[in-house]
Amino acid sequence: MRRFLTLWRRECMACFLSPVAYVTMVLFYLVASFTFFAAVLYHEGEVQSLNILLYSAILLWSPVLVTVICMRLFAEERRTGTLEPLMTAPVTEWEVVLGKYAGAMLFVLVVLSPVAGNLFFLALLSPGITVVDWGAWLAGGVGTILMTGLFVAVGTLISLFTRNQIVAALSCFAALWMMILFGHLLEQSPIALFYRNAEWFAVVTHLERFARGLVDTRLIVQYLSLTVLMLFVSVRVLETRRWL
Amino acid sequence: MNRPDPDSPMVEVVQLARCYPGLVALDKISFTVNRGEIVGFLGPNGAGKTTTLRILAGYLAPTSGTARVAGLDVVRDSLLVRSRIGYLPENVALYPDMRVIEYLRFRGALKGVYGRALRVRLDQLMESCGLVDVQRKIIGFLSKGYRQRVGLADSLLNEPDLVILDEPTIGLDPNQIRMIRNLIRSLAPRHTVLLSSHILPEVETVCDRVMIINQGRIVASDTPANLTGLLKGNRCIRAEIHGPLDAVRAELALLPGVIRVEAGNLPDGWVRWVCESPKDMDIRPDIYRMVSRHPWGLRELGVERANLEDVFVQVTRNDAADDARDFRAAGGPSA
Repeated sequence: MRRFLTLWRRECMACFLSPVAYVTMVLFYLVASFTFFAAVLYHEGEVQSLNILLYSAILLWSPVLVTVICMRLFAEERRTGTLEPLMTAPVTEWEVVLGKYAGAMLFVLVVLSPVAGNLFFLALLSPGITVVDWGAWLAGGVGTILMTGLFVAVGTLISLFTRNQIVAALSCFAALWMMILFGHLLEQSPIALFYRNAEWFAVVTHLERFARGLVDTRLIVQYLSLTVLMLFVSVRVLETRRWL
Repeated sequence: MNRPDPDSPMVEVVQLARCYPGLVALDKISFTVNRGEIVGFLGPNGAGKTTTLRILAGYLAPTSGTARVAGLDVVRDSLLVRSRIGYLPENVALYPDMRVIEYLRFRGALKGVYGRALRVRLDQLMESCGLVDVQRKIIGFLSKGYRQRVGLADSLLNEPDLVILDEPTIGLDPNQIRMIRNLIRSLAPRHTVLLSSHILPEVETVCDRVMIINQGRIVASDTPANLTGLLKGNRCIRAEIHGPLDAVRAELALLPGVIRVEAGNLPDGWVRWVCESPKDMDIRPDIYRMVSRHPWGLRELGVERANLEDVFVQVTRNDAADDARDFRAAGGPSA
């Protein structure tokens, strides 16, 4: 546990003490907020859930954010050779993977939360909005955390396969967008008519459900178990490095 | 066996093999290192030194065979083994964004050294590795020599039983090399040291025992002195004589036991002669007596000592047949 905390602290330092971190934070905030406000203006006069607009804007940009953060996790350690001193210290593969995952996750949450806070601004700025469903806002937050949790786990796994950060970034970005779009395609396609499980792949629909205030335990279990699976595979991949 | 065994040798390697796709890096090597020994691993590039050290450090797993550190298997009890060793990898890789002190604190915590014990240990190591002046500097801005020292301090943080150093002095200037050498030597009674190197004089001066590895096999293992004694062939005597060239050559060739004579002109008019004689004969007194019978000058008389470099060349040459034929002992490349 103590070693995990040490690794986690080191990972947070690596994330927060680099100029890349602050560029990422500012740009992500601007881009995601613009998307949200643009969507709000676009739907002006319609009945539309602000929560869905807010979290869709975050979901839209989250693959970029996760990619930027995850591409360096293991790829950089392998390229610079720091994986060797790390793995010859008395630490387990689980500690290393979880330490990195937790560090990246914390950074993602720190970047995302101000964007989610935009709803406050909107409520303050526009007198037309009288009621804000804070419960649904919270539920949407839970959904977003679950999804980005899975995304970061996927990014962690992908960064283990290469020592080239560009390759890691592109693969991660492609994988995350495929995850988001594949479910959507499947859900909209004729297959969904007779294959009802198609909705289990539909990330966008899941997020909308959360943002409506529907906290579905099945989805929580689904996302958590997928995340654990990805981390488990990551640990195994890290272990195989010794045999290759 | 899950407990370190105080009576077992520090390192025990049996039939260790390691293959990479299309390449046998280690071909069933076996060796032991006793407690408190400083053992040097010598070999040409790609001989398998780094692979062996990485297996012992728990970074790679062997394809077959076993390696034990203090009686603990490096694969099955990997975590325990890793907590008892200090490892300095070949290209000392550090996190460039951290300060020296931060990095060492981080590494200490990873190795289970905390709080007061860590502070005391850090103070000692900063002092002995010469890092006091740079402890607040960011590692990315340090010179190669300082980085090497940070890596060395890191490998000693947990007071390891076994210190594994992969080319510890590569890329350092002569002063730094001397410092690191002294540091390594000072580790000797309490720690066991296994180091690899290309630099032969370094191994010769620092190590109690040398293992020469070539193409994945151990081709020689002994003390540096015994290894140089192993050289086949004749002994060469070096003599600087001032006198007419042909006359000196004729007289030298007449001495009993002299097989071959070679002359080399020195810039100041003297001639350096190299006389080859059988290993068990000392012709130096004869040369002295011969010169003193003539009005010539003699200013140096000595044995061209074979060094580890010659042994290295001899045992790592890949054409063994050639080797036996034309390797001249004792003379070496300098003669």
